[in-house]
Amino acid sequence: MYTFRRWWSTNGLRLGLMVAALSLTWVVRQTNGLPVLELYRWIQQAFQGIPSNAEVLETARIQELQSQLQEVQQQNQQLRSLVDYPALDGQQTILSPVIGRSTDQWWHQILLGHGSRDGIEVGDVVAGTGGLVGRVSHVTPSTSRVLLLSDPASQVGATVSRSRAMGYLRGQAGNLATLVLFDKVPDIKPGDAVTTSHLSHLFPAGISIGTVRSIDLDKSPAPEALIELTAPISRLEWVVVHPNPKRATAELSGGEE
Amino acid sequence: MDRLNPGVRHAIDCLVTVASVLLCALILPARFSGIELLGTGPNWCLIWVVAWSLKRTPLQSGLAGLCLGFVQDGLSMAQPSHALGLALAGVLTARLQKQRYIQEDFISVAMIVFAMAVVVETTMAIQFSLQYLVAAAPKSYPLLTRTWLYHQQIALSSAILSSLWAPVIYYPLNRWWRLAQATE
Repeated sequence: MYTFRRWWSTNGLRLGLMVAALSLTWVVRQTNGLPVLELYRWIQQAFQGIPSNAEVLETARIQELQSQLQEVQQQNQQLRSLVDYPALDGQQTILSPVIGRSTDQWWHQILLGHGSRDGIEVGDVVAGTGGLVGRVSHVTPSTSRVLLLSDPASQVGATVSRSRAMGYLRGQAGNLATLVLFDKVPDIKPGDAVTTSHLSHLFPAGISIGTVRSIDLDKSPAPEALIELTAPISRLEWVVVHPNPKRATAELSGGEE
Repeated sequence: MDRLNPGVRHAIDCLVTVASVLLCALILPARFSGIELLGTGPNWCLIWVVAWSLKRTPLQSGLAGLCLGFVQDGLSMAQPSHALGLALAGVLTARLQKQRYIQEDFISVAMIVFAMAVVVETTMAIQFSLQYLVAAAPKSYPLLTRTWLYHQQIALSSAILSSLWAPVIYYPLNRWWRLAQATE
């Protein structure tokens, strides 16, 4: 007992600190970095400088286009109801700033300045200027994390617009992705546009992804094409978050394919 | 610093340490000019772990590695864990016994960070490979080769950037801990 008490008096504090540090960081891990990310967002807002002239104009232009888009969507909805086309439920898109990038080298992610408080949910589709960017993977009250298309772990069902050749897209580092085609002799040529396919569990069909840069028909086991993503992912400053109509199926299947 | 009583001094020491960890976590997602290479930034958590481990026991260093790894797990993806690689880096750094063999300067710290960055990224690549092997789907074998190709690029860019930025974390922290030790 005496030895224990002596040991405790010399090492008790140290042990306590160790346990405290481990449990504190474990909480950060289990909450997906919520306290750190909320603090980051708060500081980032405080440091946000006065936007330059060009930025103001660009933001205004984006907002104008967005309201036009909403108008067009509204009309589309009405026309669809007139011809009894299966309706999409009223969707509200969210314009969100990119406030951070991936926190490690293995995952390609971006951090957005809106979160669950603004109505963003896990599985929402994120698009930037030019096309699809990725999918929301984690949310905190005022930030959300997006797994980018260029991440090697993200796989998306894709289709060549011109010929409807099908395949799945797998990210590569940078602004490139590989399209693995299902057909042995696919009808595809450089310059073709690629969009999400209706077979995708995770994304709605018909969102623009990129263009075909080169094709390797001899690739085993399936022919592959190199796709250049249209959205300049490494330079994005603003993105648009769409609620995902396929969220229910995505949750059931858990992943692509 | 001298006039404060030991309890307060200890509390301030802890506070500074925690604040420095928080700072590392907060600059992880930020990107400013000069910080990016091939789309990746320096591994600030690793730099902190190396700075901490240089003059501490392997146990303390390993625990620090685990803690920082958990924080990084929370900020990116938890599977596979970053904690394993960072704990290994901490233990290895502590085992180097730098005071005895290597002179204390920025160059040697940068060298250690360079080597440890390679250790950390290799641990990650091994974990990814094990995941794919366990999954054992025919599609996972191409992923295996890609992981190791990707690993070369990541390990090199991370090692270069982290070692170049190491003094930014190491210098002030080392100064502080030396001051704290001197007053005890």
